[in-house]
Amino acid sequence: MAKVTVDGKVVEVPNDANALEACRAAGVDVPHFCYHPRLSIVGQCRMCMVEVEGVPKIQASCTVPVRDGMVIKASTEKALAARNATMEFLLINHPLDCPICDQAGECKLQDNAVGAGLPVSRTSEPRRQFPGYDRTPIGPHVIADMTRCIQCTRCIRFCEEITGTGELTFVERGGHTFVWTHEGRALDNDLSACAADVCPVGALTTKEFRFRKRVWWLDKTRSVCDGCEIGCNMSIEHRDRIVYRTLPRVQPAVNDFWMCDYGRFRAEDLNRQDFLKPEIRVAGSDARKQTNWGEALDVVKIAIDRARNEEKNIASKGRVLVLGSARLTTEENWLLKTLFEDSLKVGTPEFVVDKGPKRRIKNKVDGWIYGTEAAPNSRGCEAAGLKRNRPGDGSALDLLLSKKSFSSSSPAVLYIADAAFTERANDLEFVLLLRQASVLIVHARVKNALTDAADIVLPSAPLSGKEGTFVNAKGRVQRVDTAIMSPPVVRTDLEILLHLGGRWDLLDTRWTARDVFENMQASVAGYEGLAWDSDAVVGNPPSISPAAAYDVLGLERDPDVEVFSRPSVAAPDRRS
Amino acid sequence: MSGGSNVPVTEQAGNPRVGEHGALSCGRTLSFSGETRADFEHLLTRYPTKQAALLPTLWLAQREWGWISREAVDYVATLLELSPAFVWGVVTFYTMYNRAPVGKHLIQVCTSISCHLNGAEEVYAECRKRLGNLKPGETTADGKFTVIEVECLAQCDQAPAVMVNDDDHYVITKDKLTSFLGSLK
Repeated sequence: MAKVTVDGKVVEVPNDANALEACRAAGVDVPHFCYHPRLSIVGQCRMCMVEVEGVPKIQASCTVPVRDGMVIKASTEKALAARNATMEFLLINHPLDCPICDQAGECKLQDNAVGAGLPVSRTSEPRRQFPGYDRTPIGPHVIADMTRCIQCTRCIRFCEEITGTGELTFVERGGHTFVWTHEGRALDNDLSACAADVCPVGALTTKEFRFRKRVWWLDKTRSVCDGCEIGCNMSIEHRDRIVYRTLPRVQPAVNDFWMCDYGRFRAEDLNRQDFLKPEIRVAGSDARKQTNWGEALDVVKIAIDRARNEEKNIASKGRVLVLGSARLTTEENWLLKTLFEDSLKVGTPEFVVDKGPKRRIKNKVDGWIYGTEAAPNSRGCEAAGLKRNRPGDGSALDLLLSKKSFSSSSPAVLYIADAAFTERANDLEFVLLLRQASVLIVHARVKNALTDAADIVLPSAPLSGKEGTFVNAKGRVQRVDTAIMSPPVVRTDLEILLHLGGRWDLLDTRWTARDVFENMQASVAGYEGLAWDSDAVVGNPPSISPAAAYDVLGLERDPDVEVFSRPSVAAPDRRS
Repeated sequence: MSGGSNVPVTEQAGNPRVGEHGALSCGRTLSFSGETRADFEHLLTRYPTKQAALLPTLWLAQREWGWISREAVDYVATLLELSPAFVWGVVTFYTMYNRAPVGKHLIQVCTSISCHLNGAEEVYAECRKRLGNLKPGETTADGKFTVIEVECLAQCDQAPAVMVNDDDHYVITKDKLTSFLGSLK
């Protein structure tokens, strides 16, 4: 560790830190564009100017390694004047199109112009144009507008150093320089939208979010991606009950600053809610009718009680088969297990996990980590005591699916806590096998072949509407927060199960996810000693933009909303 | 792309050394001939890394095919284990790689200060006029001549200077153009 003095304040930083990071650790904001904690240092933007005692010239702080006893003056008049000048040069050719630019509100150029720039422009010349290289898609997700580029090379370095695909480069030189791909190639890799994340200005934006919402209207909620078992931390950005996008949330132990395109663009699906009210089968008909929760849960209870009585009378086990899901939180799966196995004694709930395409994400600690399952929480299911189904293992589900069972021995009630628990829920043959049960009950949000065949459909909330925890591939417990309250009659899976348990007076319907978490801790492996509100479980808060987040030193845990603090010394007035 | 706001796009159109276009395609896959391949292998022995040999390898490519096409970029990138985008970035950074086909004789007229004072602008205009009213950067129909304007050739003592392919020619005044152009045929 090196002791560094920044504006009179002494901080200890690791020996491989640079002056900019030392300033940050001391709580002094140094404006910058090209510096990024996970990318190489290039000193490209010349914005982070500071004075270093003993060095006659002003220094770009990101390029200065710290040494013990270094004295940095980050807020002197000389430093501020240099930043001021840099800012003025950058703005000479930057279009004044903030009103139509999607980056506005989370733009480093805006922030730094306010914090370190002049209040007026001294240029009236026309700005540089790049006909043919503006507002053009350069990949499946990213749209480039080179008139806005400030040549910080973050996107180029991201493609070189993080994904290793090297799609982007500087073309031409000097004032003509712009970022583009080689002719005929696209910015197309599995993390391509992160290039738009690291872009400090509006030069790279994502097609999916473009022109959809001004970012300052967006509310941000901590969540975890449910695309695979890696469990990338993300922030759900929403407004008026609509999810507009998801962004990676900094988590050095999992996804660092990144998120794969697949996970990121699942956001749109969160807005889909096909079932708004409970539906139950009309006796002797193919149709279902909409009903209220009271009636729906009573019917579920009657069906399950009848099957349990049969179980007692004809001594045939497995009359009720319960399927959990690796797409549900550990709390919900644990409730399933408590209610059905421990209290109602109808056998252990099982769950199925689909193999998904291989996903990957890179962090500094582990390098690339891979996800191969199509659901986020198979570890949590197992910890909660559910049985992982494997073809041919002789479990109740396996018997049902192997067609060997006859209708007499097939379950009377099949309770599926997530209608989309597998891709095959859209496969009619698969659904027919499940349909051997005389009563088919599902929790569902999105219509599929399984919900078409179900007798009772209980409408459940999407990921953005629920609270709970997932256990990722590394065994890390991560919390998901409620971003949006679902429409009035829709309930989360947790609430459905609590109210169902309440029908037998077995569960307390007033419980929240936190109560379930605290009640299950003792019995669920991996949850001992964890606190619902602890930093480890909650993760970092969503930042204004991941590009702005710092935690490279681990000194400041909170890369919170980057409010630009005005320097203590006023910028020189250079208007005259 | 355009130049700065003070350089009209039209003035640059067609110049093989200014890319108002992305990398042009030559329409076929390329690979070095035996001789160039041997030169390339020799080059690699002179540099610590493959990336370091990029500039001379591009020269070999330009010697072989006359200009750097999209396929040439791809081929060089494969040879040197670089990304094609990186190679293209280097090609566009330097001005002496041709990014469009040029004629057999690439006539580069210096119009920097000394040559300018000695009538280089006239030479440049006259040269284009005699070869069939060529626009800057245009190639004659028979594919023999391309005329472009270049910056200082470091022959200020013998201005106006003209460079044809790799050879300098000195004191090429308007009067001498007939014999000069004649010598190129």
